[in-house]
Amino acid sequence: MDDTAEHGRKDSAGPMPNDEAIRDWFCREVLPLERSIARFIRRNWRVADDVMDLTHDVYAAALAGARTGLPLNTRHYLFTVARNHLINRAKRARIVSFELVADLQTVPQEIDLLEAERHLHAREALRHFHAGLEKLSPRVREIVSLRKIEGLNVKETAEKLGVGKDAVNHQLAMGMKALADHMLGGTGKIVRRKYSGRRDREVEP
Amino acid sequence: MSQARKARDRAAQWIIAQEQPEWTDADGTALDAWLAESDMNKAAYWRLEHSWREADRIGALGRGAVIPAEKGEHRRGLGWLAPAAIAASLTAVIGLGTSQLSRIAGPSETVVAERFATAIGGHRKLGLPDGSRVELNTASVVRAAISDNHREVWLDRGEAYFEVAHDKTRPFVVHAGSRRVTVLGTKFSIQRAGDKLIVSVLDGRVRVDDTDDIRAVRSMIITGGDIAVARGPAEPATVKSGEPVEDSLAWRRGMLSFDQERLGEVAAEFNRYNARQMIVSDPEAADIRIGGMFPASKPGVFVRLLRDAYGLKIEETPDTIHISD
Repeated sequence: MDDTAEHGRKDSAGPMPNDEAIRDWFCREVLPLERSIARFIRRNWRVADDVMDLTHDVYAAALAGARTGLPLNTRHYLFTVARNHLINRAKRARIVSFELVADLQTVPQEIDLLEAERHLHAREALRHFHAGLEKLSPRVREIVSLRKIEGLNVKETAEKLGVGKDAVNHQLAMGMKALADHMLGGTGKIVRRKYSGRRDREVEP
Repeated sequence: MSQARKARDRAAQWIIAQEQPEWTDADGTALDAWLAESDMNKAAYWRLEHSWREADRIGALGRGAVIPAEKGEHRRGLGWLAPAAIAASLTAVIGLGTSQLSRIAGPSETVVAERFATAIGGHRKLGLPDGSRVELNTASVVRAAISDNHREVWLDRGEAYFEVAHDKTRPFVVHAGSRRVTVLGTKFSIQRAGDKLIVSVLDGRVRVDDTDDIRAVRSMIITGGDIAVARGPAEPATVKSGEPVEDSLAWRRGMLSFDQERLGEVAAEFNRYNARQMIVSDPEAADIRIGGMFPASKPGVFVRLLRDAYGLKIEETPDTIHISD
């Protein structure tokens, strides 16, 4: 199942990128689209619990496709990969209906651009970050704070709180995942930021 | 469990493990192998790692003090940013409502100061608000003030490795005691050891200025691949070219690298990372030359080697390891 093969034109820029370049592209251009892509999946998939898994499937397929060249238009590329992936999944799960496929044939062109490429203003980012911390359970929040603010490692945290290292590991991992979901998927004020480097060459649709 | 969920869980565990003092080269190799296994692994790991670093960067915006600088004020040294001042401003900011905060942090220059520390054996990676990355070695303290026009960091204690985000309009300056390091390049580390300052440049160029005496400022430029050692304030700094800079940064991977160094110095190096202190009691043993790489957090492994390979006498107590001939 190659989700990128189907849409033929990726408009890749330059030579084959190495892992470092792909990672850089992924963090700078793909991750900021997470909220939009997750919403697209949620609208087109009946099982809400699958959204995070499907988002990751799309990321993996997007990385595989980017190996032969980074796409010039990341947003269009990512939505195409997502659409193809949903169709493939639906086919395999035999839950496909003609309506679903028809709906999915066209990648939404009218994505809210500001929303998609949102970069939070510093103050908004901070507020958003704190909202993410607030969402954590008090214990997980405490453990994340001990790591992030006090700089304690797992062993020191376990000693300070009088719990096992495994428990600290587990809760720190929970906090890390929950914060990522919140920070990449949550809402916030939208501001456009000026881009540098190869982003300048990106062609708007 | 879905592949994505498994990859997410494993990625979180890798990121946590990577920040622990027990992390070794072998672990790094295992992580690389795991990442190479699938694009799902890469996606999950890069995503979590990115947002985990972002949390530092964003968190740093809020926990520090927001100090509007006076118009036209020239900031010299760090008198204006004494710890007491930070504490005071910090309290003030916490006490302020959001609307007031936004007014202070308005268009005028704002300064965000933040303190980061590690305990003995600690190792932290941080993101600064400007996108630069800092890695703190054992028992280290840095403060960072990133404003619209300036980027300043104070290395109060210990050692830090910097990867500076490129920004011509905002010079990146590190203050270390009476010396000031101005970054003209990107990757370098600074270590304070008593009066001594060691600057290792991996990539690019840095300039070190002695700021003790304004009338006789001594400057030197250190380029990539060089290590500069500045001793007492009265002594000129020396540059060692062709030293393996990568080796002196082995701590970033939890390792210590020695090239035919005296056991006395090797022990002192281990003691930076461990509460349990190594003591070399006789001068002959202290003169033995040691070469090789060792995990910083496992002095026991190193000491066993001394006993087995060099026939040295080892006496261990809960707090100390005595080494003698």
